[in-house]
Amino acid sequence: MAEFEPQLTKRFGVKDGHKLKGFLETGGYASLKNLFAKKPPEVIEEVKASGLKGRGGAGFPAGMKWSFVPQNTGKPIYLAVNADEGEPGTFTDRYMMFHDPHLLLEGIICACYAINSHTAYIYVRGEFFEQIERLNAAIEEAKKANYLGKNIQGSGFDLEIYVHRGAGAYICGEETGLLESLEGKPGKPRIKPPFPAVVGLFGCPTIINNVKTLCSVPWIIANGAAAYMAIGTKESTGTHVFGLSGHVNQTGFWEMPFGLPMMDFINNYGKGVKGGKLKAVIPGGSSCPVLTAEECQDLTLSYESMRDHKTMFGTGCAIIMNEHVDMVKVLKNLTHFYSHESCGQCTPCREGTAWEDRIMKKILDGEATTKELELMLEIADNMEGKTICVLSAALAMPVRSFLKKFRGDFEKYCKAASVAVPEAVS
Amino acid sequence: MAKITINGKALEVADGTNVLDAAISNGIPLEHFCYHTYLPVAGNCRTCMVEIEGPKGPMLTIGCNTKVAEGMVIHTETPKAKQAQKSALEMLLLDHPLDCPVCDKAGECKLQNQYMEYGLYDFRRDVPRYFKGGKAEDIGEHIMLDQERCVLCTRCIRFVDEVPKTSELGIVNRGHESKISIFPGVRLDNPYSGNVTDVCPVGALTLKEFRFKQRVWFLKKTESVCHGCARGCNITVEHNKGRVYRYMPRENAELNKTWICDEGRFSFDHYQENRQTEVRLGHSTSNLNEGIAQLSHILEGLSKDEVAGIASPFAALEDLYVMKKFFEKRFNPKNLAAPFWGKKGEEDNILKLADKTPNGQGLTLLGIDPDGTDLLARIEKGDIKVVLMMHNNPFGQDEARANQVYDKVKALIVLTVHKSKVAEKGSMVFPVRSFTEKNGTFVNATSRLQRVRQAIEPESGDVIEASLWFAKLAKALKVEGFDYSDTPSVFNAMAKEVELLKGLTFHSIPSTGKVLDLKPVAAEPFQGVKAQPNVSGKAKVEKV
Repeated sequence: MAEFEPQLTKRFGVKDGHKLKGFLETGGYASLKNLFAKKPPEVIEEVKASGLKGRGGAGFPAGMKWSFVPQNTGKPIYLAVNADEGEPGTFTDRYMMFHDPHLLLEGIICACYAINSHTAYIYVRGEFFEQIERLNAAIEEAKKANYLGKNIQGSGFDLEIYVHRGAGAYICGEETGLLESLEGKPGKPRIKPPFPAVVGLFGCPTIINNVKTLCSVPWIIANGAAAYMAIGTKESTGTHVFGLSGHVNQTGFWEMPFGLPMMDFINNYGKGVKGGKLKAVIPGGSSCPVLTAEECQDLTLSYESMRDHKTMFGTGCAIIMNEHVDMVKVLKNLTHFYSHESCGQCTPCREGTAWEDRIMKKILDGEATTKELELMLEIADNMEGKTICVLSAALAMPVRSFLKKFRGDFEKYCKAASVAVPEAVS
Repeated sequence: MAKITINGKALEVADGTNVLDAAISNGIPLEHFCYHTYLPVAGNCRTCMVEIEGPKGPMLTIGCNTKVAEGMVIHTETPKAKQAQKSALEMLLLDHPLDCPVCDKAGECKLQNQYMEYGLYDFRRDVPRYFKGGKAEDIGEHIMLDQERCVLCTRCIRFVDEVPKTSELGIVNRGHESKISIFPGVRLDNPYSGNVTDVCPVGALTLKEFRFKQRVWFLKKTESVCHGCARGCNITVEHNKGRVYRYMPRENAELNKTWICDEGRFSFDHYQENRQTEVRLGHSTSNLNEGIAQLSHILEGLSKDEVAGIASPFAALEDLYVMKKFFEKRFNPKNLAAPFWGKKGEEDNILKLADKTPNGQGLTLLGIDPDGTDLLARIEKGDIKVVLMMHNNPFGQDEARANQVYDKVKALIVLTVHKSKVAEKGSMVFPVRSFTEKNGTFVNATSRLQRVRQAIEPESGDVIEASLWFAKLAKALKVEGFDYSDTPSVFNAMAKEVELLKGLTFHSIPSTGKVLDLKPVAAEPFQGVKAQPNVSGKAKVEKV
């Protein structure tokens, strides 16, 4: 792999890297000079040209998203930072905020300048209290040094950043659920249209970006889109912090450009699969369709390769499972998680996730037949794409991929169809 | 206007109409639960799924949150749309109790109806049922909550948030454990609470006043107008075997939308109790013909200034008209007035008005003096021999004064719906019909002429409309021009004479009324309540 300069994690392990002094010494806030030299539309163009994709999971081009903000509504424009990292198997944003809070602030300044916003909210997952402390401390420092507040570094640009602590719901990581929560309401995703770029926080145009998306922006502003394009693959530009968990000898996260083969990642960085042969990989957080060991052979860590394998890049944090893993129990874990985290608003998700979970319990109890497996697939079809947000799809995708790719595991639990229990009628 | 196509049918609908509205108002059925014409869109039930053709092929989406656009091509019956509709319904019914036989909503339950229409007929939940708990929870003065029947459509929440703006209801917990709840220490006791049971598509919210009283399929429905105050909200009187069981709000986009206040809703009982059912002459009961004969005998000998009439803002236009005509033709019309004793009641800027009489504007329309101070003074002085009193008691609780005044007259003739103190004083008492027992017209505070239709027939044939009673009396006195067969014919005759009613007939009055060119005496309803987002142009939506 080619040499590259770490953009996101270069202050990890640097003494006092999380403080303003350490940050400035390692090139922090250097992008602001370039930033304020450009006009906001030029910043958006630069980020568009860089090919930076949103790191939250959907991979929507960041510059494109910014360009959707209407500038003529007369209303304030907000930036909401999604730091509600809650996707099972994902654990990198928390370190970003812990080790380098100023980088996030720098990214926020860039984004707010581009979209002409003067207020930003960082919505941090409630459990991340250390990160919240560090973010608040960083904001205080930045304000004192005039990196935030009025007329930042003489540029005439004003910006205030507020940290909001979430109260612990997966669904608040969905962008409109996050906005509802930020407004003090239960975190229930909003019906779209209108989209948040037009009607968002407090009814005003709002952009919601993931932590790592924003942390990637300062480097682009400082070094230019072309330099960013040169890193990674054609469709997946730049670097990302990739995580590994589960059955590998070395779990953790590493920053590197996109495009590394998955098997190299597991073998070289994860030091190989622990406790047996590789069985399955969930590539980017629990809602991505699972991949078998064979499928991983030619998989690379990039948006396009994941898409070609009919899964998603997601958050870039893979869960590795060895041959002794019971996929039925894994799926039960997921159905339990999603039925517990469904906000309960839309009928198909509210009822469907819980139904899937109850069927999974029945399967684990050895009470089901293969008929239930077909039913699970049908329920998955009836949930996905039929709700306000994508939580139902986030369960439907694993259900389908687990049942399709590891059907043998499930059939072991099923009774023969001939002794099928008669249908209950209560 | 936008040209759209639904299921191959070309339609033209008003801009801003949503797809669901466009479909159902043009006779294309589309299932829905959470959508309500007069509430904001929530889009959570996911039953109104349609396919809309787009650049990337047909896309499945909900109809209620999609506004029509020029050239939009919509399909409601493609396999994908049907599957989405059916599966959403299956999910709604997943843990729903099958207690329809004991559920008050049975017969008018959206879930029940739509299961018959679109349902999946094989039940597939062979895992244990999730029991949401809570049967018959008392959550307000009028409201009971059956938690397990709730489908979480949030219509009730949106209602209390948007109309009375009291926000007593919310959803607690999440996922399939979500349930409707009142906030701790708060009860659902706002003056419009009854409406939550109307918007509830299932039997989760029911009225204490209606629970277990009557199966809805036995109820006959008659269009009427609430008599609780001068607003005249449109209602349906629902009755069976001569008894009224409830009033339901009836849609009138320009007046009460689909809401009524609790005060009006629960006034139905009051009209049925303590009724005057027989003719009483002196101390003995008699019948109508005998009564009219005796009365005409008394009146025959009197001069035109010796008889006075007390009308009432509770009477229908027809009653007032015939009474006035009777005085004009036979006695002195100056001796007719309608002083009302009633105190002002509660009012708000939603629907309720302080004036609790239904036809005060009717008096103005017909030029009947609503004050009557002068007339009462003349009665008190002893100038009047006989007083004909219809639906009224001008002294209210002031019994001493009433006695003093009535002692001065030779005969007090009372036409009344209910037994009352003043009826006891009457030397002759004639029962007349209440508004659920007659056809008639009323003019509300915003000058809307509205019609009530007869719902039930009184037990005794002696109980007739006050208008026909006066016609009968006039005939007995050989006064001409009182050949009325029924109240519609009275109205038609009146419409020919009264300028503002010209050109109308009883049957041509629209069911939502007609605004007359008469100065309104109250502000339009729903002051300060957000304009309703879902009603637009042509769209006509089924009742709640």
